Amino acid sequence: MNIRSLIPGIALLVCSIALADETCNSPYMTGLIKGQEDFIHVWTLGVSGVGDGSDKLVTIDVNPKSSKYGKLVHSVSVGERGESHHMGFTDDRKQLWAGGLDNNKIYVFDVGTDPAQPKLVKTIKDLGKHTGFLGPHTFYALPGRMLIATLSNTAKKDGVTGMALYNNNGDFIAKYPMPVGKLGTGTGDGYGYDIAINPARNAILTSSFAGWNNYMRDLGEVVGDPAAMKQFGNTMVMWDLKAMKPSQVFEVPGAPLEIRWSLKPGDNWAITATALTSKLWLIKQDAAGHWQAREVGTIGDPAKIPLPVDISIAADGKGLWVNTFMDGTTHYFDISNPEHPVETYAKQTGKQVNMISQSWDGKRVYITSSLLSKWDKKGADDEQFLRAYNWDGKELTLAFATDFKAAKLGRPHHMKFTARPAGTALAEL
Amino acid sequence: MRLRAFVTAAVAWLAAGGLDAATDPGRALAPRMEFVPPAAGTYELQRIQRAPDAELLDANANVRRLSGYTTQKITLLTFFYTYCVDPWGCPFAYQTLTGLRDRVIAEPQLASRVRFVSVSFDPTHDTPAALRQYGGRFMGDPRFEWQFLTARSVPELLPVLDGFGQDVRVEKDASGRPTRTMNHMLKMFLIDPEGVVREIYSLAYLQQPVMFNDIRTLALEEDSALAKAR
Repeated sequence: MNIRSLIPGIALLVCSIALADETCNSPYMTGLIKGQEDFIHVWTLGVSGVGDGSDKLVTIDVNPKSSKYGKLVHSVSVGERGESHHMGFTDDRKQLWAGGLDNNKIYVFDVGTDPAQPKLVKTIKDLGKHTGFLGPHTFYALPGRMLIATLSNTAKKDGVTGMALYNNNGDFIAKYPMPVGKLGTGTGDGYGYDIAINPARNAILTSSFAGWNNYMRDLGEVVGDPAAMKQFGNTMVMWDLKAMKPSQVFEVPGAPLEIRWSLKPGDNWAITATALTSKLWLIKQDAAGHWQAREVGTIGDPAKIPLPVDISIAADGKGLWVNTFMDGTTHYFDISNPEHPVETYAKQTGKQVNMISQSWDGKRVYITSSLLSKWDKKGADDEQFLRAYNWDGKELTLAFATDFKAAKLGRPHHMKFTARPAGTALAEL
Repeated sequence: MRLRAFVTAAVAWLAAGGLDAATDPGRALAPRMEFVPPAAGTYELQRIQRAPDAELLDANANVRRLSGYTTQKITLLTFFYTYCVDPWGCPFAYQTLTGLRDRVIAEPQLASRVRFVSVSFDPTHDTPAALRQYGGRFMGDPRFEWQFLTARSVPELLPVLDGFGQDVRVEKDASGRPTRTMNHMLKMFLIDPEGVVREIYSLAYLQQPVMFNDIRTLALEEDSALAKAR
């Protein structure tokens, strides 16, 4: 066999297996999409009196070559309302796990068999029984299992919480409480929110938000209650991935939310945004290899509490989208130097905006509107939409929009991409 | 070209740059290791699931229960097919396994407690004779047990794949006909002597020093359990 003759074939094979789309998925996930995504699945909060009033997984065709481009193609109702919020793929990308922050349930959808028509195949109800945790938030794939960050606990419903581990069959394996007390240079508050793993560094990084008592309460009431405003997370935690043990607490005031590792090989940093203080924070190894966290930028005018929510990092680690909920603005930061992010673009994309997801090539950006059922704006400001934009590096141009109110769907929250499966299953031959 | 020579060339080519692109996600997913792994025995491996059981064929065409090869020893099991050329698939698995085998053999007391099991994705092509040709040099080595297994048919293999959560799809050509390329997520399953899967390694996680420490961690765990039972 001649190695030279194999190289074109090898190149094709590598392209076929090692591609990615949205840039925030688990590094353990397969079936990543570098090219055009076919569908977006939107985990949607049910609204009383709107449609069947239940939470649902909504599927929209987003391939411009499709005759159904921009159209709703499927919707699966779970038959109840439990504060749908985030979701995540299993490592084989066959299942999408979606959580209810209020009812503490996890809904497992089959998106591998036919992504155009996801099916609800399992509902996991034992999270609280096994862990005492409440509010499954981040679903992060490990090989053969799912690591879940939660927000609260069933006893006091405050922010002290932890992570739970299930296998892909939905069987509980273990729980990992968030650290409380002094650990390294910081003091753990026990709060949780997001998970992000860097396998090359044996690192899990977690962030912190608030418990059920806050996230299921009207936002205006929370802001007006000084005691409630003290019940937000102010920490991030570095964990030893192999040992699943916390190793360092960082003081990051103001509810650090979504975490994004730079995907550029060799990079040793992650970035996050704080909701209440409107800052960008960098978590990076110093020259001695020790992890350090420090504030590196400001998002909008913190005095106006723009409330940074979701962020999305470019595949090359040089750009970062940040949505601010209160002013409905989508910001783009140049983070070529992550120590000094520079805002280079901003556009109001709605009266309220929350989640933001980009394709791997960064050319397509999708935005949804809902934050939490009790935190969304009221009246005419309570827009509920998915908006798809094209990004040419200078301007966001609206490609299509789906009005979730007019379609009687509810409040759209988290988005995940799928593509039609390539090849043939072994069983079909 | 012999398999070992091909693997060396392919991996060297990729390490040197391979697909040169501004943002090549493939390289981002390639296994990197920029940390000192925790020492064996300082952590506990999770009990993920029981390893599934089935009847398979060994390289001598004997019908064997898979459970006979996933219990009594610490087992590292993976799926492969003999003609796979994807550099980050079976050839990389082969390189990882042979490297680990060398590490284990260097500790003879450990080597007798560990086995590798390679199960073919392709019962049609990978007959027992094909397995003997592919893995023969490892099968008869008295220093270390490495089993190569196949199934009598695809329907008999499917429950094993499902049970382990191992995905595989056959690539089609431009006219929609299946090719000889099987796209699969490279996974290795570390199984304890009780037949429980304790770790699963996919590509980003195939770090030989970590895997070796995991094997030693299971050995220490077994030692500790035996000591308590006495």
